[in-house]
Amino acid sequence: MPELKTKPHSKRNHEPPKHDGSKKPAWVKPALELPPQETPRTAPEASQTAYKVVGTSAERIDGWEKVTGAAKFTDDIEFGPGLLYACVVESPHAHAKIKRIDTRAAEKVPGVVKVATGKDFPFKFGLYMKDRYVFAQDRVRFVGEQVAAVIACDPKTAKRAAALVKADYEVLPPVLDPVKALEKDSALIHPDLGKYAHVPWFFPKAKTNIAHWRKIRKGDVEKGFREADFILEDTYTVPRYAHCAIEPHSAIGLFDASGRLSMWTASQSPFTQRHGFAEALSGLGLSHKDVRVITPYVGGGFGGKAGISMEILGAALATAVKGQPVKVMWSRAQEFYNTYQRQGVVAKVKLGVKKNGLITALEHTLYWDAGAYVEYGANVVNAVGLSATGPYKIDNVKIDSLCVYTNLPPGGPYRGFGYSEFFFGLESHITRAARQLKMDPVAFRRKNAIREGDILTYGAPMNPNGLLEAIDKTAAAIEWGKPQKPSGPDKAVGKSLVLFWKAPAMPPNASSCAFLKFNEDASLNILVSGMEIGQGLLTVMAQIASEILTVPVSKIRVETPDTDRNPYEWQTVASHVTWGCGNAVKRAALDAREQIFDVVQRTLHLSKDSLYLEDAKVKCRTKPGWELPFESFIIAGIEAEDHTFKGGPVMGRGMFMPEFSSAISDPETGQGGHPNVHYTTGAGGVVLEIDKRTGKAKVLKAALAVDVGKALNPDLIRGQVTGGMLQGLATVLYEDMRFDEKGRLLNPSFSDYKIPTALDIPEVVIPIIVESAQPDGPFGARGMGEHTMIPAAAMVANAVEDAVGARIKSMPLTAEKIALELNKK
Amino acid sequence: MPIACEFEYYKPKTLPEALALLAKHKGKAQALAGGTDLLVWMKEGLRSPEAVVDVKALKELKGLDLKGGALHVGARTTFAELIESKLVKEKFPLLWECSRTVASVGVRNRATLAGNICSAVPSLDSAPALLTYEAVVLVQGSKGKRDIPISQWFTGPKKTALKDGELVLGVKIPLPKKHGACYAKLGRYRGEDLAQVGVGIMALANDEYRVAFCAVGPTPMRAKRIENALNGNKLSDELICRAQELVPQEIKPISDIRSSKEYRLHMAGVMLERGLKAAAARLAGEGPAYGESVL
Repeated sequence: MPELKTKPHSKRNHEPPKHDGSKKPAWVKPALELPPQETPRTAPEASQTAYKVVGTSAERIDGWEKVTGAAKFTDDIEFGPGLLYACVVESPHAHAKIKRIDTRAAEKVPGVVKVATGKDFPFKFGLYMKDRYVFAQDRVRFVGEQVAAVIACDPKTAKRAAALVKADYEVLPPVLDPVKALEKDSALIHPDLGKYAHVPWFFPKAKTNIAHWRKIRKGDVEKGFREADFILEDTYTVPRYAHCAIEPHSAIGLFDASGRLSMWTASQSPFTQRHGFAEALSGLGLSHKDVRVITPYVGGGFGGKAGISMEILGAALATAVKGQPVKVMWSRAQEFYNTYQRQGVVAKVKLGVKKNGLITALEHTLYWDAGAYVEYGANVVNAVGLSATGPYKIDNVKIDSLCVYTNLPPGGPYRGFGYSEFFFGLESHITRAARQLKMDPVAFRRKNAIREGDILTYGAPMNPNGLLEAIDKTAAAIEWGKPQKPSGPDKAVGKSLVLFWKAPAMPPNASSCAFLKFNEDASLNILVSGMEIGQGLLTVMAQIASEILTVPVSKIRVETPDTDRNPYEWQTVASHVTWGCGNAVKRAALDAREQIFDVVQRTLHLSKDSLYLEDAKVKCRTKPGWELPFESFIIAGIEAEDHTFKGGPVMGRGMFMPEFSSAISDPETGQGGHPNVHYTTGAGGVVLEIDKRTGKAKVLKAALAVDVGKALNPDLIRGQVTGGMLQGLATVLYEDMRFDEKGRLLNPSFSDYKIPTALDIPEVVIPIIVESAQPDGPFGARGMGEHTMIPAAAMVANAVEDAVGARIKSMPLTAEKIALELNKK
Repeated sequence: MPIACEFEYYKPKTLPEALALLAKHKGKAQALAGGTDLLVWMKEGLRSPEAVVDVKALKELKGLDLKGGALHVGARTTFAELIESKLVKEKFPLLWECSRTVASVGVRNRATLAGNICSAVPSLDSAPALLTYEAVVLVQGSKGKRDIPISQWFTGPKKTALKDGELVLGVKIPLPKKHGACYAKLGRYRGEDLAQVGVGIMALANDEYRVAFCAVGPTPMRAKRIENALNGNKLSDELICRAQELVPQEIKPISDIRSSKEYRLHMAGVMLERGLKAAAARLAGEGPAYGESVL
């Protein structure tokens, strides 16, 4: 590939910041960050760690609705007989110029209300890079891309008419391989790349297919390799994957006579969508105040419902049929080929180690198959570029994470945000290096594991973590070092243990807000815009408020948002909402508590310092036996001696933004800035039995230890571990997306894209909770949702090698691949 | 996903009425039983019939019973009914075992055995059982009835000996002698899947074997060369080895999205071995319980 040079981004001095250990790192300032009070104001005997509600497995507040099937999802909402349906016309080509689109025949079909094409909406959109249009304009870039849509009175009329839209194309050579896409004679997918707007931490290379190139240069990598006694170099490949949420994407838009656009979407990101819709459609005179996004329960997101993908169609088309709601709902096939996909990657790993087991240098080059549009996916590439050392202390690092356009469906966020992909190569490599050194792979990992204060790739220090505890507990759970007998003569058992970490990948100013409203009976309504996507957010937010305000969880209602009513939240992604939204709720609860203390002090002349809350009552340390139940004043206020009333409805407000974070660094070295707020670390282990004849793998035991800081709801964490582990194991054992030589997806259905069933659950899953507090997290908590699937791929690859001696370097490790490797003639 | 094609839906109450409808819409009518294939094809635009003739009211197509030394499986009989039948489980264990591997519980509650053989996909799970049991397909057209041996039924991928205007009434399976059986099915995971290789094996007394494959050629097939090599011989590792060597002569697998040709060939041998051992053990009243996978 050609070496592409960029100009320095700025003339600042790019010396990495010095951390001498005497000064507290930037993130250690929770006390300053948590107004109004962080001092204990619970019962006098209660210490900071003796919590009553957080740390217990409170029952899910959405559980009953969901298990009975009563919960409403976007597609369940009734819009009456006036509802219109849209059907999109899709490109049959991976790469082509659009010569003309003839909609006349479709327009004549009875029941058709409107046929829209790119000409009607020449608007760009995109989260981090504006490289997408509502409909393809002059060029299509993947098979299935929308070029037009028919709006009709019912779905079948829309579908029939869509088949009559005639589009003529001039077919161009498709670019399907991210490494070949970098060759000089490769076709250019975005000739105007140089003109695209993007966030300041992206570095697209005009007149190439490189949409972003994240570089890390830390220490002296050449020196590191010179110091090594042994260097291991290899290439690992990971294909694309689909999220496969059971609920397909859907969007209903209504543009009413007042000029207001209301959207009902299946989404993880109501506010980001509102912003995206308002921004993209500003040419039609819409402003943010006019756009309202309502997001009911979500039937699985996994990143696929983050940002904006097909929902832009619902918004745009609604403006074309003013006064009537219009629905766009993806079929299962569209779900596969026209939403975000997890990007594929070709990763070259070069690792230098000393005989004593110390890692001296790492060179990690990742070529990402980012697809036709990278408006979100480029940030996955960026996140990996910052973190592709894994949780190891490595002084000399060179990382190149390249976001490469291809003529395949747009890449985007998927649970793990690129970490599962790079860990497949890195953690395979770590085990291989240990084996070459004749060192125990767990001891090797322990020796190099990152510790608090060690310097990260971009120069900031590592946060407190319980990584070593996670390693030890996982090793114990899988009885590391103890051989296990196979169940039959054709079988072999292997074990492995790998590490993982992940940081939330967010803009530095991603924020979360909460409103908390008391009612007459001292019950509470909490308004947040963090999404319940199955992880249990609503329950945990109620627990946080309950802990501070001593109102039981059963008296707290938290619901999915409506952007008109609920306050701002960036997105429910990045495993950050327990932390970010949790901090906002905690602050809102503290704000409400302060209001309570204020009015009691002001009216009843009891010192605030002597007051505390218990069982939804105000109590006083200096006046035993005195108590003031919330319901006596929480709305009505407190009656003073003169029969006037003081106070009034108590309403808490909380906001959280990580003010220490910044994304700007030297483009050539990645040094400077504080792009990641913290890392969650852990370890995964597996006991795997392989049938040497069939190649089939059976997971006898899977264990995963994750340092959650503080387990706010242990059962929900165990659920995440089990689900994430299962999702991860599927990606390594049988899932993958396959494309033909024309860029057409060959398996856009569950017939040939397999996700696990109840029969595929490992025999034993052991979730292990490690709690090494996150100083700025609510009660010390940090996120862990995505992390649970990250170790799976390398864990299986290493266990397969341990069992049968075969090293497989491309995912997935299907039974077929293993059997053919073992039965080579 | 909506069905975009326009069609007439009929639900005739009598067989002559149904046959008259099929004759009237010659070549453009589709019989509908469970609909688990037909409806999917219509949604995807792969079939656009002018008429859909629902056979679920025809009493002639009903029933699952033993008469005249044969099991009569009416065309309306679902896989769920086969699985729930004691008679099938005791006397036709291979049919019972393969039925449990067809699609999923939900699909089996609607999908019929007759509909399954009309789909005639190469990976048809029920085919190895019907081939080894030497079933007969009962069809009727306006010109009369035909009995088609299952060995002549499959004429190509998704193609059968059924003629235009004919309707499958059911399948007749002669009552076999006491036997042990095994249907081994290769899938990509433990959940529902289309077979990448299917092997049906019947082990009778006096060292007699019947073997049939699916998903490893354009149609499901009996493996007569393998049967000849096995018949009359005591089952041993050496005999199995000889049988395995014949596998490449018997089957013609292709590479597709589900599996490579190489893996299919390899697994056909492995599954033949495990299937033979399980069927023989089951004949002797031992071995894994029916329904337990040998893979």
